[in-house]
Amino acid sequence: MTSLPPPGEGSPSPATDPPVDPILDSIADPVADPVIDTQNERLDDGVNRCPKCGSTEIQLRPSAGMLICLFCRHEWSEARLDETIDNGDLATLTGTTMGSGATDIDTAADSLITMKCQGCGAEVVVNTEAQMGSRCHWCRHVLTINEQVPNGAVPDAVLPFKVTHDDAVARIDAFAGKRRMFAHRAFLRDFEPDNIVGVYMPYMVVDSNASADIAGVGEVQTRKYTRGSGDDKETFYDADVYEVQRHVDFTVDDLTIESSADRANIDSSVNTNNIINTILPFDTENAVKWNASYLTGYTSEKRDQDVAHLVPVVENQLLSIARSQVESSVDRYDRGVRWERERLEVHGTRWVAMYLPVWLYSYYHEESGKGMVHYIAVNGRTGEVMGSVPVSHPRLLAAAAAVGGIIEILVIAILVAAG
Amino acid sequence: MIAALFAELASSMALVAAEDDGAPVFLLLAGPAGAGGTYFLAWRYYRNTHTSHGYERETRIEAKPVTGNEAKVKEITGTKKSGIDGDNRSDHRRRVQRLD
Repeated sequence: MTSLPPPGEGSPSPATDPPVDPILDSIADPVADPVIDTQNERLDDGVNRCPKCGSTEIQLRPSAGMLICLFCRHEWSEARLDETIDNGDLATLTGTTMGSGATDIDTAADSLITMKCQGCGAEVVVNTEAQMGSRCHWCRHVLTINEQVPNGAVPDAVLPFKVTHDDAVARIDAFAGKRRMFAHRAFLRDFEPDNIVGVYMPYMVVDSNASADIAGVGEVQTRKYTRGSGDDKETFYDADVYEVQRHVDFTVDDLTIESSADRANIDSSVNTNNIINTILPFDTENAVKWNASYLTGYTSEKRDQDVAHLVPVVENQLLSIARSQVESSVDRYDRGVRWERERLEVHGTRWVAMYLPVWLYSYYHEESGKGMVHYIAVNGRTGEVMGSVPVSHPRLLAAAAAVGGIIEILVIAILVAAG
Repeated sequence: MIAALFAELASSMALVAAEDDGAPVFLLLAGPAGAGGTYFLAWRYYRNTHTSHGYERETRIEAKPVTGNEAKVKEITGTKKSGIDGDNRSDHRRRVQRLD
């Protein structure tokens, strides 16, 4: 293992000599930076037909995870992304690799895409901020966007919804039902779980090969004793102090990172985005190649973050993972360990842009002039549910005061009886 | 009736607060602490502001055996502290000095 310098040394280099970031460095190097072509060559923008009957009435059948033609009932599925690209051994992953759907967003690229309907020649506009297909208002054909335009709207893969609308409604209803007593009355009055929306959220799914060095101080208790007597009795400890260093090599498969700046802002004092973050993880290994028909009937959010924006987030999570991995190796320090320095070396990363399915119930609540959207979210694959329910402070205060009052009366009764 | 109850509480508190050993006065904090704890726990159960994805546990991670070394640097005698200052062994997300 490499040894770490003592505290205070080895801090970031001066501004004239910027620190080398292994991920960003390889992004800048086109040779070490292969892009995996994930474009679904079978599909184009515009009319995409059922392979059996030619109809464009195609949508996802969540219970089966298959696309279904609403005209002839033919069912099929796109290939799993993992089966179509070379994943390799993560322990040998070097440099930065990314799917062609995860490449940098062209800021000049428009979110609005105009397509010419192959059925009648009319022009149909799709706002990729929220949807990936539209129906031609003249001939009723469904037109979808499948080519990887550089505006971040078409990812490498999509993980189709598996939890049905009815199942998600039942889960949200049960979640809120357990939180009725102290819920804000307006929330209860307006609660309509049927109004949930199925949303495909944008994420980067990242494989990593990394090493970490962590250093700090650990203490082992050698003696515990008391001095004095009666009320002056005090406990004292003797301990041995150690400089501790740990090194770990590890790979991480499918670390899932929000790739929308709004969703990535997890500050529970101003938003409830942590709720959506909590329902991770997804079974991302089952994601399939992009086909916009999976999104028919659902909304979507467009990616607005490039790989370079998300590198600090990934490095932060890799360091946390490293700290977690070494925890059991310092069990002998029974008085605890204070880690003081850490170093991360990222040997390789692979980035895939993915749309992941979330059922979302949202409720706007204003309190003391400050508004906040409260989410109750259901993982569209596992059914895991988490939510934020606005609280009725008068009710909660009354309950807390009642509990406190009962405890106080009991304490006073005991003291009076003892006195 | 409520006024009588409060009067009884006040007189009892005054009686107990006058105790010489001081311990009973400390016990009187149990009521406010219980009220505060009830409020906090219930609020957190509703708002879930503390939750997030546990990627350290819920992601597929393969790690080689952890290596490392340690060296005894000094001894502490007669401290009243039962643990090390700033123990962050389990606080994986609190960042420390980052080295290049």
